[in-house]
Amino acid sequence: MKKKKLISLFMAAGMALSLAACGSSSSSEAAASAPASEASAAVSAAGSEAASGDFAGTITLGVIGPMTGTLAVYGTHISNGVELAVEQINADGGVSIGGEAYALATETKDDQGDSTECLNAMNALISDGIGLVVGSATSGCTSAITSVANSEGVVLITPSGTADALTTEMDYVFRTCFKDSFQGQLAAKYAADNGYTKVGIVYCSADTYSAGLRDAFSASCAELGVNVVAEESVATMTDVDYTNQFNKMVSAGAELVFIPFYYDVTGPYLVPQARQAGFSGVLLGCDGVDNTETTIPDGADLSVYNDFYFINHYAEDLAATDVSSCFVSSFKDKYGESPNNFDALGYDAVLVYKKAMEAAGSYAAADVQAALADTSVVYEIASGKFSFDETGTPIKSGVLMGYSYNEGDAAVTKSSIQTLEVE
Amino acid sequence: MRQDKTAKRYLINGIALALLMAVSVCISLTGGNTIKLKVVPAVWQCCYLIIMAASLNLVLGFLGQLSLGHCGFMAVGAYTAALISLAFQRAGIYEAKSGAAFILVVIASFIAAGLLAAILGLIVGIPALRLKGDYLAIITLGFGMIIVNLINNIPFCGQQGLSQGAASSALYANGLGFSNDEKMKYMWLGILAVILCMTVMFMFVRSKYGRIIRAIRDNEIAASASGINVSFYKVMTFAFSAFFAGVAGALYSCCNSALATTSFAFTNGSILNSVFIVVMVVIGGMGSLTGSVVAAIGMFLLNYTIKNGAWVNALPGFLQGIFTYPMLVYSVALIIVIMFRPRGIMGTSEFALYDIPKWPARIKKHFAKEAAKSEKREEAAVNE
Repeated sequence: MKKKKLISLFMAAGMALSLAACGSSSSSEAAASAPASEASAAVSAAGSEAASGDFAGTITLGVIGPMTGTLAVYGTHISNGVELAVEQINADGGVSIGGEAYALATETKDDQGDSTECLNAMNALISDGIGLVVGSATSGCTSAITSVANSEGVVLITPSGTADALTTEMDYVFRTCFKDSFQGQLAAKYAADNGYTKVGIVYCSADTYSAGLRDAFSASCAELGVNVVAEESVATMTDVDYTNQFNKMVSAGAELVFIPFYYDVTGPYLVPQARQAGFSGVLLGCDGVDNTETTIPDGADLSVYNDFYFINHYAEDLAATDVSSCFVSSFKDKYGESPNNFDALGYDAVLVYKKAMEAAGSYAAADVQAALADTSVVYEIASGKFSFDETGTPIKSGVLMGYSYNEGDAAVTKSSIQTLEVE
Repeated sequence: MRQDKTAKRYLINGIALALLMAVSVCISLTGGNTIKLKVVPAVWQCCYLIIMAASLNLVLGFLGQLSLGHCGFMAVGAYTAALISLAFQRAGIYEAKSGAAFILVVIASFIAAGLLAAILGLIVGIPALRLKGDYLAIITLGFGMIIVNLINNIPFCGQQGLSQGAASSALYANGLGFSNDEKMKYMWLGILAVILCMTVMFMFVRSKYGRIIRAIRDNEIAASASGINVSFYKVMTFAFSAFFAGVAGALYSCCNSALATTSFAFTNGSILNSVFIVVMVVIGGMGSLTGSVVAAIGMFLLNYTIKNGAWVNALPGFLQGIFTYPMLVYSVALIIVIMFRPRGIMGTSEFALYDIPKWPARIKKHFAKEAAKSEKREEAAVNE
């Protein structure tokens, strides 16, 4: 009896340790790659090597994002972008405040995509004395920490929290992405410009992101004279069955269906089921759809991913500024893959902080907030040039990207199509 | 003699609770920044988790019915309390978030949250509790999802109502959503709510109703043959348990300034969801209220310290790998508990302060028994 228990305990421990080994091996890989990239960064910044040696101090930025859980891709990519920016800034001599150079460092917290965890992470960062925070990835989580940021006087830049109201009430909250109403406008404008008159919406009324986009999209459609013929909601953002919803879309005769969902359902469930239900028109998603290529199941019929477009913050090949092309090449050097919009937006958040700290001549949260609140400053960052509006949301453009199935190499490729702007 | 002992027990527990209240008031008056940012939010989260686990234990442990939608009641309570506090503020009952009027409103909203959840428990319980086992589990699971969808589609309380910027900051500025300072100032409220709820639940399970529902759990047919109205007591317990889940929801809305229905789902990324509450009850021991308290605090601390505690950093590197995947840690913890304590940490026994001095003797006795058992087994093996 006892032996049995001991054996099973060992087996459980073995299982846990094997997984732990996976975890630690990946982290040791990261550790192994870090010195290499540091070395390359040092080489690229050989001129300023002397400067990088004597920093007057270190400014720690807090990073909050879903590092584990269903939305882990968002958090890890934001963190990748942030790390890259921090590394580059440090190699270039740091942040110069009042004639002295300061190094940047990061402290990363996992929120598991949950608002309570996000609040705990935020409180932990504040109690560690951090005054500048990048986070969190989704609107739902971010809305749980905006009020704390304001009341504790901590600057919060969310790289990808797109819900409109995140920044309106809170002076200490900014973002580097565009907001949902703008994204919805872009989507409606795309539909109008391309001559679609009958569109449908499948969304999740339970989710801040999805419902906000749906509101913005249908409002803009009404303005632009595009007819919303059918509208269906699902229970959660992680639903696995969309067949009924798309049956209704087909019977209502929708030519384009707006799908404000995240990548974790579009790849395996939503898109294949939409096609199975007989919907052959255009599927138009938003920034959450980026990375769908990572969730397409093996052996799936890849042709279903044709005519699948989404609005995005940034496209590598439509990169306009020097900063963006430099970002793309250095990101590829460091991580060996092309950056997606979370990488870019996380990177941007750090650049925005750097510029604001230098303008304010201080890294105290209140001074940085005052510098960020200046709407005349133009930030030149990886996802384009922008300046903040009075609420703390960038005024910028978006891009349309699309997936297409390539029969030649039997793969789904993602490509950018055009830059979208509203007057 | 026996009465004397009971009086002593009450005295000791009363003193302990008074001390707890005193400490919480002291902390809220004198606490520094670290306490405000790390300890106080943790205490608040523990408060609602304790009430949730203990209230589910009434249904799962004492009544013996599996309910998978307990967070649905919590959602009802959270939204009710938040909306009532906002309504009172708009009606001009209180201006700033302080003073007697505000505290009265908070208490009223707690009670209202519990009552509405209890009414819903009644409505759900009457049809659902005709079923048993798996079927009941499925119905309650469905209920949890229905509640979430209902809330999402009621215009004034849906997702668009309390989690998005303007409305959520209204809740934060004027309603129940406490900032860190207010959490510290009103920590005694949370502690008091837990003490009151736990006391009432204890009184319930120790009363004749408690005996009746345990009789139903042990054998429904025998219970009904002895003249117990089984359906009545089942529904009553269900509604009673829902009341406390509602109060826990009200505490949750104090604790989190933004309400989103995803927090009350069947499963999600955090430790607050219907499944995890069941896990807490099972770990603590089905049929032990103090077990639920221990399990709720234990699970919370495990979750909280994985991210904030120093002990993870002190572990050797290969072990730290596990802790980057918190969900994995919970499952291993669950396996270990179930392997060594199949009936939960506390089983069905309760923890009593009065008995602590007797522990050394009990532990000795336990090991003596075990030793005797294994000796016997060895003897048997030798004889064979």
